[in-house]
Amino acid sequence: MGIVLKNITKHFGSDLVLDEVSDEIPSGSMTALLGPSGSGKSTLLRIIAGLESLDHGTVELHGRDVTTAEARHRQIGFCFQDYAPFNQMTVFDNVAYGLKVRRIVAARRKKEVDELLGLVRLSDFGDRYPRQLSGGQRQRMALARALAIKPEVLLLDEPFAALDAQVSGELRVWVRSLQRELGITTILVTHNQSEAMEVADRIVILHEGRIEQVGPPDQVYDKPASDFVHGFLGPLTTWQETAYRPHDLQLCDVDAGPRARVTDVIRLGFEVRVVVESESETTWVQLTHHEARQLDPVIGSWISVRPR
Amino acid sequence: MMHRPSLALRVAVLCYVGALVALPLGFVFQQALSHGLSAFVTALSNAEMDSALWLTVRVAVVAVPLNVIFGLGVSLWILRRPSRVSRVFDTLIDLPLAVSPIIVGLSLELAYAQNGWLGRPLAAWGLHVMFTYWAIVVASVFVSLPLVSRQVIPLLRSVGTHQEQTAQTLGAGPVRIFLTVTLRSITWAAAYGVTLTIARIIGEYGAVLIVSGNIGLRTETLTLNISNNFGNFTPYQGFVGVSLLSLVSILVLLVLGLARHRERLRHGYRP
Repeated sequence: MGIVLKNITKHFGSDLVLDEVSDEIPSGSMTALLGPSGSGKSTLLRIIAGLESLDHGTVELHGRDVTTAEARHRQIGFCFQDYAPFNQMTVFDNVAYGLKVRRIVAARRKKEVDELLGLVRLSDFGDRYPRQLSGGQRQRMALARALAIKPEVLLLDEPFAALDAQVSGELRVWVRSLQRELGITTILVTHNQSEAMEVADRIVILHEGRIEQVGPPDQVYDKPASDFVHGFLGPLTTWQETAYRPHDLQLCDVDAGPRARVTDVIRLGFEVRVVVESESETTWVQLTHHEARQLDPVIGSWISVRPR
Repeated sequence: MMHRPSLALRVAVLCYVGALVALPLGFVFQQALSHGLSAFVTALSNAEMDSALWLTVRVAVVAVPLNVIFGLGVSLWILRRPSRVSRVFDTLIDLPLAVSPIIVGLSLELAYAQNGWLGRPLAAWGLHVMFTYWAIVVASVFVSLPLVSRQVIPLLRSVGTHQEQTAQTLGAGPVRIFLTVTLRSITWAAAYGVTLTIARIIGEYGAVLIVSGNIGLRTETLTLNISNNFGNFTPYQGFVGVSLLSLVSILVLLVLGLARHRERLRHGYRP
């Protein structure tokens, strides 16, 4: 087992932030700690790293109990959301930092840093200073710096949150493939459910300091264990007093089921949202571009709504 | 891009600074050189003034490092180990700047005098502080106490703790983290604090006047020497002293400015 967490409990003052959290994270997996802000996910990550104390519980990394070990002895790679670059050092020296601490001789250090810079596609940027890099480049630098010490575990705190949508999308794919290539046990903290589903092979959903559900992305999405998980993983709408995902409803001929009137059609390119209103409720249905073209819903027309 | 200030504004600023700083300072140098360069050089080697200059340097050499260590320590304490005590300290630390040097001098005299509550036990150990070199050091440290920490604290706060924590996860111990991460990110704020401290210490007059006893050739600092010369009707010697003091201050500022400029060129940004 990669990381074993047992009964981790943490208070900040009188606030209970983590309540008996236990989980077993398989070696080589990519686990997302997913939850809204205040769910305790970042605190849990910091506890695994040794950057935060815990009230009780234990942390094991690859069979080693590190509960009382200092962060510097845990052999973990940690990346902050703001990447925390050492601004007064070049990119090369940033990546070399952990190797210097470990007294790796200069020649070998240079060889290893050059390899890492190649791995994160920053080979030509070794002489630059962090502020001369873009956000995505800075993030890759932080990743190379963390990987330099050959960590047993990689911990990423909201790694894509500070990037614009396009760069974030590219980096997700890249980080995922890098993680698979290196086979390093990785935990990623995020509040973004689509990011978690895209990158992770295992999702841990945290809510108010407790684990709500653990499982592969498909499973937590299709079989949510609680109303919270159901609502958190994607949009929900209600029809005839039952909660549905908007893409699980369909529009049919007016006689085929409960009647409703189309009140708005929002076209987002790849999807089309149709807002409908019955006598008692308002709901919305998500259609694919293709379906919308076939059905061609017109505002004001009458249709029926049924689950698929 | 910032707009260039209008001509009128620039003229106004130049006139203001000219009337308040440049002209009076220029007048001092004019007086100091009024008997020619050789007289100026002769006056520079006046025994009392040299002794005073040397004393000022000796005070600064001890007091400045003390304040740097104290300033950095207090800054880290207030920001990295915050507690109720450290927050109270954060407020109190400005006190030395808020009170008049004359109050500093008098309270130090009360404390360190032969029968004072600090002076008496020290005297029992055979240590006499008042009217010695050490009294001047204590007064100098007092008046410049918050100058380093006041520069460092805001920067340290904005830099945050993520860099230090990253270094921790990379295996670095506290000393290494302080030297390679913390200190490097606050170098310029600390250097500026040091500059202000040096300037304050070599320029201090009021507190030092009271605690030093103003004894010629023994506890007479450069500022006291200047004042004594004007009091003793040897104003030319006084003007030479003033110009010397001004030159030291200008030099300190110049060194800082040049170092900053070089750093800026090296990093391609404004530190």
